[in-house]
Amino acid sequence: MLNRFIRWIQRYKGWFGGGAVICISLGLYTGLFASPPDYYQGELVRIMYVHVPLAHTSTLAYSVLFFGSIWYLWKRDPLVDNACQASAGICALFTALALITGSIWAKPTWNTWWTWDPRLVSFSVLLLILGGYLMLRKLVDDRERSGRYAAILAIVGGIDLPIIKFSVEWWRTLHQPMSFSTRGVAISDDILLPLTLMSLGAWLLFAYMVMVRTQVLYLTDLLNAKKGRLFSQTHFSQTSL
Amino acid sequence: MTGFYARWAIMVGGIILLAMMTFQQYQRDLSTISLATVLNSPTTSEHVRIQGMVKSGTLTGAIEEGQATFELIDGPTTLPVEYAGPPLENIRELKTMVLIGHLHHETKTFKAEDTALINNFGFVAAAYLVTVITLCWAMFAMSQRVMVLFKEIKDEKLYEPEHEPLANKE
Repeated sequence: MLNRFIRWIQRYKGWFGGGAVICISLGLYTGLFASPPDYYQGELVRIMYVHVPLAHTSTLAYSVLFFGSIWYLWKRDPLVDNACQASAGICALFTALALITGSIWAKPTWNTWWTWDPRLVSFSVLLLILGGYLMLRKLVDDRERSGRYAAILAIVGGIDLPIIKFSVEWWRTLHQPMSFSTRGVAISDDILLPLTLMSLGAWLLFAYMVMVRTQVLYLTDLLNAKKGRLFSQTHFSQTSL
Repeated sequence: MTGFYARWAIMVGGIILLAMMTFQQYQRDLSTISLATVLNSPTTSEHVRIQGMVKSGTLTGAIEEGQATFELIDGPTTLPVEYAGPPLENIRELKTMVLIGHLHHETKTFKAEDTALINNFGFVAAAYLVTVITLCWAMFAMSQRVMVLFKEIKDEKLYEPEHEPLANKE
């Protein structure tokens, strides 16, 4: 018998995956066909429909990692540790893709692939923190120590989130200011619809990918434990075999 | 296992279909043809999109009222243009622009009716391809790994309750 949470994932992850496919399909259709080109950016605005959702989702993913790490240090639940590790990997993927698509947009718009802009630098720091987190997981052999150290790193690295968010307000920057703020929404409806659909799809996709990755980590640990290669006694305390 | 690969085949098929539709739309609505192609085309009143640079010293007419004549250059080819349409906001000499209209074959003049933004669709395609391919590959690899792990656990009967030999002896 598997852990109850893993069984729940196995049963319901398809809903998240299906929801993501529907939202992203609708978002791609409206973004590529139904929405008009931007007055200044022309067709390049369509890159925003992948870049912005990826960037939003990577900050959401890091928030999950941040709060999950606090939870892990408090409860020491190994399954939460698995979910944090999964979230970190997916967050790194989304962050890297957000940087790459942003760079592709910047070349024809700013005439450069990269500039030392506060938003770009703070976002790249997020990728470095995640790289450090994942390396720590690989380098420390002891499972519980590795989880503890990585959780502390993730919590300390959380300081980067408000810097990313407010970098466009605190410093002079090339990056456009916040589109969603207390001052309202500064996006036209034609662009808002595909952007919302793609963002919703990206969040659901992230949830789906974290579920699958958590399963992978849990099942790998389970297999190793049953083959006698994992020595943590606490890891499967909630699992009856 | 067959269902897993079938689901993924359907998803990849859908993505390819969407990519083909996008490419068709690009060819139909966004791509431009060279001036030489327009000049050598058979007589037709079909509307086309051409891209070129406004030749220095040729721009005349009431630009703010949407009437202008100038010459468009694209490499060694030059094409006289008579523009009549919406007011031109940002036309100037030596500016590269996209014109929509048709060729008047008798006078070899391009009758332009509208302008469009220069498209950089290659950048858009690159951003989408990088994102879609990477995410699909990551999801496929993880889903396949879950399937293999479940199968491995099932095959090795690791889910069965363990018996303690000492307890049995007692």
